[in-house]
Amino acid sequence: MKKLLAVTACPTGIAHTYMAAESLQKAAEERNVPIKVETRGAMGVENELSPEEIAEAHAIIVAADTDVLEERFAGKPVIKVPVAHGIKRPGELIEQALAKQASAPAAQGAPAAPKSAEKETSSAGMIYKHLMNGVSNMLPLVVAGGLIIALSFIFGLKPAEGTLGYQLLMLGKASMGLMVPILAGFISFSIAGKLGLAPGLVGGVLSTQVGGGFLGGIIAGFLAGYVVKALIKYIKLPKVMEGLKPVLIIPLASVLVVGLLMIYVIGDPLKWLMDGLTSWLTTMGSANAIILGAILGAMMAIDMGGPFNKTAYTFATGLLASSLFGPMAAVMAAGMTPPLGIWLATLLSSKKFNKEEREAGKVAAVLGLSFITEGAIPFGAADPLRMIPSFMIGSGVAGALSMAFGVGLHAPHGGIFVLAIPNAIDNILWYVVAIAAGTIVTALLVNLFKRNKIAA
Amino acid sequence: MNIQDLLSKDSIFLSLEPGSREEIIRKMAAGLTASGSVTDLEKYVQAVLAREAQSSTGIGFGVAIPHGKSAGVARASLSFARLAQPADWESLDDKPVSIVFMIAVPEENVGNEHLKILVALSRKLIHEEFREQLLKAGSADEIIELVKNI
Repeated sequence: MKKLLAVTACPTGIAHTYMAAESLQKAAEERNVPIKVETRGAMGVENELSPEEIAEAHAIIVAADTDVLEERFAGKPVIKVPVAHGIKRPGELIEQALAKQASAPAAQGAPAAPKSAEKETSSAGMIYKHLMNGVSNMLPLVVAGGLIIALSFIFGLKPAEGTLGYQLLMLGKASMGLMVPILAGFISFSIAGKLGLAPGLVGGVLSTQVGGGFLGGIIAGFLAGYVVKALIKYIKLPKVMEGLKPVLIIPLASVLVVGLLMIYVIGDPLKWLMDGLTSWLTTMGSANAIILGAILGAMMAIDMGGPFNKTAYTFATGLLASSLFGPMAAVMAAGMTPPLGIWLATLLSSKKFNKEEREAGKVAAVLGLSFITEGAIPFGAADPLRMIPSFMIGSGVAGALSMAFGVGLHAPHGGIFVLAIPNAIDNILWYVVAIAAGTIVTALLVNLFKRNKIAA
Repeated sequence: MNIQDLLSKDSIFLSLEPGSREEIIRKMAAGLTASGSVTDLEKYVQAVLAREAQSSTGIGFGVAIPHGKSAGVARASLSFARLAQPADWESLDDKPVSIVFMIAVPEENVGNEHLKILVALSRKLIHEEFREQLLKAGSADEIIELVKNI
């Protein structure tokens, strides 16, 4: 006896989901075919298909206009159609499903045209969904890690090894260190399911190692997700070896492919980029100080921990040795304004942010004051095209003003805590002005570009 | 909660005058306003039309189920209309519509009891006998009797 499974889902989840389910059940009953239909609608997931049922099923009908975790069905014949077809042509779908070859791995959806059209209209929404899945899982690490690092500054900026302050700093860094891997891992997880997690996590770690920062992590996440999806689709094995696919073949192949791409295709060019930027900054150093401040500022904000940020920071700390304190001040001011600007933006226009974001905005304020630029990453990663230009301009203003006012900074980090150290900052009042100006510019631009949240 | 709480006689139309999709929606919304479940007709109608603009709620078999979630709705409710003449609803099967169930859900949604009823109604509409009975029913009470059993 051939057993069939089906999943139905629609965006509103009120009517179509259940009508399609009923329709398919009715058509199957008429043909005396056993079927189980999972519904994903306003009532949540009901009648969920178990892995055993999926393993036993002859074929699976997916009648859905939203994501239904299709990766569960890897290796099974799947007929994918819009939810409307489930309502209108249940009999046809049942016949098609029965006609499928049981061993056909990941078969193509039946009516090809509506399927591809469906996919395309929703692809932008899906990309956003994947991105947000990464960001929301990353957020707790940024919050905990950032606040713990800020806390460690209370015990001094250079805590001796073994002291509580030192341990807090290490703990905070451990949490922050997981940020990019989790971002990449869960973007990939959202795209490809459980099998996507491993290559995503590894890609994220490699992005940190090669200096790719969170933008590299986003690339790694999407790369890993789509690599796994493609591998599931295109690797075809004899039936006896099919069981090896999810446990051995896909993990091994996906981690290898994603890892090597991150090292050679992303990593090496990043190294050249950073070398090139450093020599360019060196020649700029003798040019106009205000322009240098603006460039350093923008670089701090463009990738917040990526190659541009690292180059600017390293360049400035390098100059400390030659008793040039201006660029260091510009870099720190610019690194403080993105999270501070986000905080101010959430205060000024609460309508544009959801509750979670408004809470995250308060944390961003503390992180900004502590010169932990990463506090702005959850906002930047969620909406890079609108947020990052705002951050860059705000940071550029802060950096340029800091240089214009002739502010100097003698310590390479510490944020507001440096103010407590005598003589660490030259022209301290003007420094505050520069940071405040950068913060205000960032906040205004963020709110100018950001769209209003639609009430969910 | 049971179905009578959702469907009142004020919002049952056994022979609604033909008109455009929006006109039909407006007439049915007026019925829901009369029964007190919709407090801001314009707000609610806009929500329904916005949903229609996304994709038609004409699900085929001559049935449409327009719906809207809006702050203009005081409590979850249902309106039923049989059209005097079938109207175009840009349905999935391109056939005109003669049965319309319109659903109103408040913005602040408490509990999902009414959702269960709507789900049961949607499932029921797939069955031809049920649609036939809706088309034949002679009075509002009969309609209520029909949907009561779902």
